[in-house]
Parts: sequence; structure tokens; C-alpha cells
Amino acid sequence: MSFLNNYIYYIGAFGLILIGLYIILVKRNLIKVIVGLGILDTGVNLFLISVGYIAKGTAPIFSRPVIDSENMVDPVPQALVLTAIVIGVAVLALALSLAIRLYQHYGTLNLRKIREQKW
Amino acid sequence: MVNPVLLIAVPLGLAFAIPLFALFWKAAVKYVPLAALAFNLVISLLLLPRVLENPVIVSIGGWRPPFCINLVAGPVGVLFSAIIALVGLLVSVYALDYIKKGAIEKYHMLYLLLLTGATGVVLTGDIFNLFVFFEILCISSYALVAYLRERSGIESAVKYLIQGAVGSSLLLIGIGLLYGQFGTLNMADIAENIASAGLISLFVPMVLIITGLGVEAAIFPLNAWLPDAHSSAPSSISAILSGIAIEVGLYAVVRIIFTIFGAQSFLLFLALLGIFTLLVGEMCAFSQNNIKRMLAYSSISQIGLILFALAIATSYGVTGGLFQLVSHTLAKALLFLAAGYMIYRAGSLQISALEGMGKKMPLTCLAFTIGAFSLVGLPPFIGFPSKFLVVRAALATKETIFIVFIGLALLGTVIEGAYFFRVVQVLYFKGEKPNPGRKEAPVTALIPMFIFVVLIVIIGIYPKLVTDVLNSAASELLNRLDYIRSVLG
Repeated sequence: MSFLNNYIYYIGAFGLILIGLYIILVKRNLIKVIVGLGILDTGVNLFLISVGYIAKGTAPIFSRPVIDSENMVDPVPQALVLTAIVIGVAVLALALSLAIRLYQHYGTLNLRKIREQKW
Repeated sequence: MVNPVLLIAVPLGLAFAIPLFALFWKAAVKYVPLAALAFNLVISLLLLPRVLENPVIVSIGGWRPPFCINLVAGPVGVLFSAIIALVGLLVSVYALDYIKKGAIEKYHMLYLLLLTGATGVVLTGDIFNLFVFFEILCISSYALVAYLRERSGIESAVKYLIQGAVGSSLLLIGIGLLYGQFGTLNMADIAENIASAGLISLFVPMVLIITGLGVEAAIFPLNAWLPDAHSSAPSSISAILSGIAIEVGLYAVVRIIFTIFGAQSFLLFLALLGIFTLLVGEMCAFSQNNIKRMLAYSSISQIGLILFALAIATSYGVTGGLFQLVSHTLAKALLFLAAGYMIYRAGSLQISALEGMGKKMPLTCLAFTIGAFSLVGLPPFIGFPSKFLVVRAALATKETIFIVFIGLALLGTVIEGAYFFRVVQVLYFKGEKPNPGRKEAPVTALIPMFIFVVLIVIIGIYPKLVTDVLNSAASELLNRLDYIRSVLG
């Protein structure tokens, strides 16, 4: 069980990443593909957070003299995740607005039916 | 002293000022990118002689390098930022008249953001910062591909967005894995400690990062989005995407492989990928009837050639690759700009619709012809010395595999010549229509095309103008120890 205890966040993160990739590759509806992108993003963010996570850790601020630095979580991945979340929001918002336009033009969101451009 | 931060800060600030600007003086909005990029060009050219001696390292926030986000304005970075500013400036002159429809202030804001992202990618020395600037570049290009809101534009923007977003996620996973192992995001710091890590724990992040960046760099087999996106965007945006965006992706791939990983054993595989990319691009371009798709496939093939030249990894090879990159940027931007007005006047994207254009728009057609000849590699244009350098570098390795590869690349060039000469033939010698009367492109389009033509011819006749810069850029890419020392001190 100690394996699970140590690696549960990584297992969860890569599980989410694989689920997201599966949805993107297999689903035909553009909205579902966008949901897949969201899950993929969440998985990546969870992975980044777990890189710097310490169980029962504290914020890296010397607010009280008794806090020892061993128990502080790494703040850099959290800053990265904040940035990554913002970028993810921008991509998802753009994807959804493109989906609206796509529906106006084609009358469907089924990606198998929208194939006017090919090699 | 000029601070390289200005190269990013000024266009970024002006980009976000454009919507405010549009509130009270809408007519002036389209001149803002012009001013920002002219400023960038001047700053880059001022920095260039200084960084040829010593790279300028800027630490943001007053901390010393591994702890801060730093900019590395070495010969490579400033060379690229100068090219980005030059092409961006000329294309924004072209866009003054070309972009009439739609939300103009949004176009100019996204355009400036795209170029800011590209400049940031080439100047940054921090791998996560590279990701952020890369995303700025990608998101603005997704939006710009869909700018005209036509069927084809929306469809290709959706394709581009999905593939690009998956690619960026892979890139971010790779960056996370690297951070987990080394506890730092500074590229020089990672590069210094890379030897201490195990082979497999480096291979996984490297593959993830290369795959993620390879989507934007359009390396085969990750290039399915490119012909759609480049052919359905407005022509000024196609010029930027083909001339700058994919080159910046390629720069990131090369920087990661050469500087961070120093992966010598991976280079042969990259050379193979480059040749595949080249042959696939040339063969697809040959069978196109749509002129912008043809140019887009031709970009894929040129990227393949550049990747192959860089993967030779001798000083000749990298110089040749960078030279080929400059020549492709100038020639392809010129081709898309010229094609933009030819399509506009002909009313169709089909090559056959361009019959007799040589009489109708002689100057634009002359510019197109010069761009096409330069891309094929005919003297006295810039394509000739750059392709010559690549061939010489491949032969100088004296390894059978590289000589076979360059043979295949030359075969690709023959195909390239065939399809470009076919278009030139249609422009000048097909169609017996009575003289249709001249209707030239407007002056704002002719000026940038003329400057591109002048640059292509002058550098083609006198390549010494750029070879010094290219040589020191190549040595920056090849000597990773110097890079690490100059950043970490």
C-alpha cells in the first residue's frame, strides 16, 4: 500500500491525461473533444502540483519562527499551475467560440462530417 | 545600453493598448503594429554588433540566474528577433490596405501579440517562460486563422487548435518531468546538470518536449494542420505563419536538443525526419491546384530541409540551416504577399485562374517569380547560397548516409522547381485573352514586396552580409558549454 500512498497523485494525474487523450482521439462531437482537452489540462496541472507536493506541508512563508523549512511545499510548481490554468482557460474559451462558429457554418458538430479540407 | 527586455515589453504593452486606442481614434489603430515593430527592428539592429562579442544576459527581478527568469540575447536570439521584426514590419505595411473587413483592431492586436510571443520564445532563457510565450504565439495564431470567419478558416482553426493544444500539453508534461528531476527551470542550469541524470529519465521528457514543439514546427508526421491553416488564413497572416511561426517552433526544437540535452545520438533520427518532411511536402505540393495550399506544402518541405541541415550539427551544417531559414522566411513571406493580391484580383485560389496575370499585374508577378526562383535555389537570389551551403555541409561530413540524404533533398528540389515553374508559366505564357488592362496591387503592398525583392537579390549576390552573424549564431547553438558559462557566470 505504501506504493499507492506515495504515487497516488501521479497515478491520478496520468490517468486523467490518458482519459483526456482518449476522448480527443475517439470522440466525434467537437464539444466532447473540448471537454477532453479540459480533462487533459487538469491532468497536467495535477501532475505539476504533485511534483512539488509534501504531505502535511505548509506554505513557504516564515510567518512563525517555529516553522521548519523541511515541511514547506515547493512554490514554483504552484506558480506554474496558475499560469497553466490561465492559458488553459484561454484555449478552451477560444475553442468553444470556434465551436459556435463551426455550428453556424455547418449545422453540425460531428467532426466526421466536417471534412472539406484534405490532403 | 539598450535593454533586450524592451523587445518584448514594448510590443506587448502596445498590443494591449490597441483596444483602448480604438475607443477614441479608430483610424490610427493599424499604425500601432507598424510603430512597435519598427522600434523592435531598430533595437535588434543596435543590439546585434554587441551580442556578436558577448551575449547580453538580463535577469528580471534582480535575482541572479538560476533563481530568476532571464533573457539570453545571444547571436541566435537577436538574429531571430531582427528577422521577426523585419518581416513583421513589412507585413504590417502590407496589411494597411489588405485587411479591410472584420474587427480591425482585433486583427492588429492579435498580430502584435503573435509577434511578441515569437520574440519572447527566441529570447528567453527559461523553459517555462518559453512555454508561456509559445502559447501566446499559438493562441493568437489560432484566432487569426479564423479571422475571416469563413467556412474553411473556422474548420482549419479548429483542427489547428486541437492539435496545438494537445502538443502544448505534452510540452508542459515534459517541462514538469524536467523540473521534477532538476528542481530548476533555467535552461542553462538544466543543461549543466543534465549529465547527472539517467538515460531513460531524460529520454521521456525529451520525446514529450520535441513532440509538443514539433506540432508547431510542422515536423512530419505532426503537420496535418499546416496546409489547412496556412491556406485559409488571410494572406498577410499566412506570410507570418509560414515565415515566422514555424521557424520559431523549429528554433525551440533545436535549442532544446542542442543546448539543453546535447543529444548527439538523436541527431540522425532528426535528419531522417527532416528528409521525410521534405519529400512529403514536395510531393503533396506538386499535386495541388490551389496556390496557397501549394505554398503551404512548400513550407513543410523547406522546414524539412532546414531541420536536416541543422541535424548535421557541424558548423557548416548549422550555418547552412540558419541561412536556409532566413532565405525561406524572406522568400515565402514574399510569395504569400504577392499571391494575396493575385488571388484578390483573380477571385479564385485555383492556379488556373491566374492565367494572364503577368500582363495584368506585372510588378506583383515579377515579385512572385523572384520569390519562387529564390526558393528553388536559382542564382543570383538568396536561395542559391543557402542551398549551396547545405549541400556543401552534407558532403563535408563524408558519411554515406548524409550524402544519400542530400541526394534525396536535391531530388525534392527538382520537384519544387517543377511546380514553381508551372505556376510561373501559367502567370506569363498561358491564356490568350485580349490585353485585360493593368490593375496593379496598391502601393502599400508593392513597397514591402519591393523591399523583400531587394533583400533577396542583395543577400543572394553578396552573402557575406549575413554570414558573420550566421556563423556566430551557429557557434552559439553548437557550444553548449559557452552558453551555460555565459548565463551562470
